Amino acid sequence: MNHLMQIFALVELSITCAVVITLLLQKTSSQEFSLMTKVILILLLSNLFFWPLGLGMELPLAAYVRGVIGDLSIVTMLLLWTSLLSGSKPAPLAFKVSVACIAIVFYPLALGFGMIDPYAWGYGSILFFITVLLFAVVCGLANWSKGVWMIAIAILAWAAHWHESANLWDYLLDPFLAIWALMAVFGVFYKRRRDKARAGYLFRSG
Amino acid sequence: MSRVIALCFLLLAAVIGFLHIDSRPVWTPFATNTVAVAEAELEVPVSSKSKNQIVPSKVSIPSPISTWLPETAAPSVHAASLIALSDGAIRAFWFAGSREGAADVVINSAVFDPKLSHWSAPTVVMDRVSAEKGLSRYIAKLGNPVPARMADGRLQLFFVTVSIGGWAGSSISSVISDDEGLTWGNPQRLIGSPLINLSTLVKSPAIAFADGRLGLPAYHEWIGRFGEFLRLDAGQVIDKRRMSSGRGAIQPLVFVNDAQDATAYFRQTRRSGQVKQVPVSQTLNAGQSWQSDADLPIANPNSAVAGLWLNSGARILALNNIEAGRYRLVLMMADAKSSQWQVIEVIEDDEALSEQRKEFSYPYLISADGNDAHLVYTWDRKKIRHRYFSGAWLKRAQSQLDTPPVNVISQEAK
Repeated sequence: MNHLMQIFALVELSITCAVVITLLLQKTSSQEFSLMTKVILILLLSNLFFWPLGLGMELPLAAYVRGVIGDLSIVTMLLLWTSLLSGSKPAPLAFKVSVACIAIVFYPLALGFGMIDPYAWGYGSILFFITVLLFAVVCGLANWSKGVWMIAIAILAWAAHWHESANLWDYLLDPFLAIWALMAVFGVFYKRRRDKARAGYLFRSG
Repeated sequence: MSRVIALCFLLLAAVIGFLHIDSRPVWTPFATNTVAVAEAELEVPVSSKSKNQIVPSKVSIPSPISTWLPETAAPSVHAASLIALSDGAIRAFWFAGSREGAADVVINSAVFDPKLSHWSAPTVVMDRVSAEKGLSRYIAKLGNPVPARMADGRLQLFFVTVSIGGWAGSSISSVISDDEGLTWGNPQRLIGSPLINLSTLVKSPAIAFADGRLGLPAYHEWIGRFGEFLRLDAGQVIDKRRMSSGRGAIQPLVFVNDAQDATAYFRQTRRSGQVKQVPVSQTLNAGQSWQSDADLPIANPNSAVAGLWLNSGARILALNNIEAGRYRLVLMMADAKSSQWQVIEVIEDDEALSEQRKEFSYPYLISADGNDAHLVYTWDRKKIRHRYFSGAWLKRAQSQLDTPPVNVISQEAK
C-alpha cells in the first residue's frame, strides 16, 4: 500500500510539473496551444519527470522535485490541472482573498506562534470539518462549482488516505496555494490603485 | 444543474468524511507500569551481624561498566539511542559519517550482550540512497535514530531526513522490523508540519498509550522552536498536540507519572540573557493539552536531556548541568517523594582549557529490567560511549539521596 502511495504521488507530481511547464510555454507563446498540443506536451513531459533517466541521478526528476516541495494539496493540484482546460473559469477573487486570509492566520499559528495549533484540527475536528463543508457550500452558492468539486475531491482523498498525511489541511492548502492567493490579491489591489490613479490623472481639474 | 451535481458530490464526500472522523481511534490514557516502591528493597543490604545498626554491608556492588560502541572508521558519530531486545540484549543505533550532515552518513546498529559485556559488529540500518528510494524523494542527509517497541512486539525506528537546508529542514520517517532489528521494511514518512513538512525532528524515546499506540515527543526548530507530541498509528501521525511555544524549548523528554499525568523536560534554546535552565511542560490529560511549568532548576547549556523512571520510584536524568559548553555530563536522581535532583555520578568532566575541552552530549537512557540503566552518549563526536549502572548500584545511590548533598547540583543555575 505504501509502495502504491509513493508511485501515485510521483505520478501526480510528474503531471503537475508537466502542467506547470506547459503553462509557462503557453505564457511565452503568442499562439494558443490546441488541445492536442497540450495533451502531447503533458504526456511527454510527465513521462520525462516520472521515469528514472540515469545520467548520474539516483531517482526520477519528480522525486527531486518532491524532495524540495513535498506533496501538493489536492486543491492546488486540481487548480493547476484544470487551468489547462480551455474555457476553464478562473478562481473568483473572493476565493483567493479567503485563502490569503486563512494562510496569513494559519501558518504563523501552525509554525509555533502561541499554543493554539490550527493544524491539529485537521486530524479529525468535527468543527473544522463542518467549516470546510460550509466553505464549499458558499463556493457553490457563489456559482463556482469547480470549488465545490475540488474541496469534495480533497475530502475524499483525505478519507481514503491518498497521500502520506492524515491531516485534512494538507489536502486543502499548501504554501504554494497560499503564495498564489496572496500574489493574486496583491495584484488586484495594486491594479485597482493604479487604475484609480490613472483615472484621477485623466480627470484631474486643470 | 452542474452546481446541483457538485453539491450532491459534496454531500457524498461529507458523509464519507464524517464516517472517517467517526472511525478515528479516541485519545486514550498513557500505558503505565505500576511502580512499586518497596521501602525494604531500597535499603542497602545490611550485614547479618549488625541487626541494630544500619551499616553498609560488605556485599560488593559492581561499579558502573563502561564500554565503547564499535567503531566504523567514520570520523564523526553522533545521536546514539538504545532499545532492549526480547532476549535481554540491548540494541544501539547511531549515525556515522565523514561529518555530521554529510551525504555519506549512515545509521548504524550493534547489539550489546550484557553477559559478555560485548558489542557485536556494526551493521548499516539505513543509508541515504535506501532512504530516498524507499521514500521516493531526494534525501540529502540522515540523523537522529530513535527506536521504539510497538504494541505487537515489532521494533520501529524513527529517524530524521533532510532534503534541503540544515537540520531545521528535517522530517521524521520510520522503518519497522519484525526480527528485532536484523532486517527492516520500507521507510514511511510521518507528516507533522503544514509547511512542506519541514522541521519536525525526534530525539527522545516514544511512550505508549493504553491502546498500544505510540506517542512520540517531537520538536520543531525552524522559525519556532517548540515541542510537539505526536500520536502515531504505526507509520502515520493521527493526531498531535503542542507541548510548548515560542523559540526556547526543543527535544522534549517525557516522564509519565500516571495514566493522565506526564511531565516533559526540554533542552533550552533561549536567547542569551535568558535563564539557562531546563524548561518544563505538564499534561494532566494524557498529552491532549500541555501547559508550561516552572523551569527545573538545573543548568542547561542548550543540550539534550535523557531520563527514565526506575521501578523503585526514582527518576534519573543524564545531562550537561552547566550553562555553557558540553564538557561535563552527570547522572542525577530524584526520589519518588521529592523533586530534588541530586548528582549521583559525574560521568565526564573535562577540566582542560575551554578551547580544548571535549564535548559529551546527546545522552540516551533506557532500562532493561526497570531497575538498571544503560546510558549512551556522544564522546567528543568521535566515539559513542556506553555506561551501564546496575540495579544494585542505583538502589544504593537512591538510598543515599537523603544524606546531605555534598557534590550536589554543584553547577546548577544560580
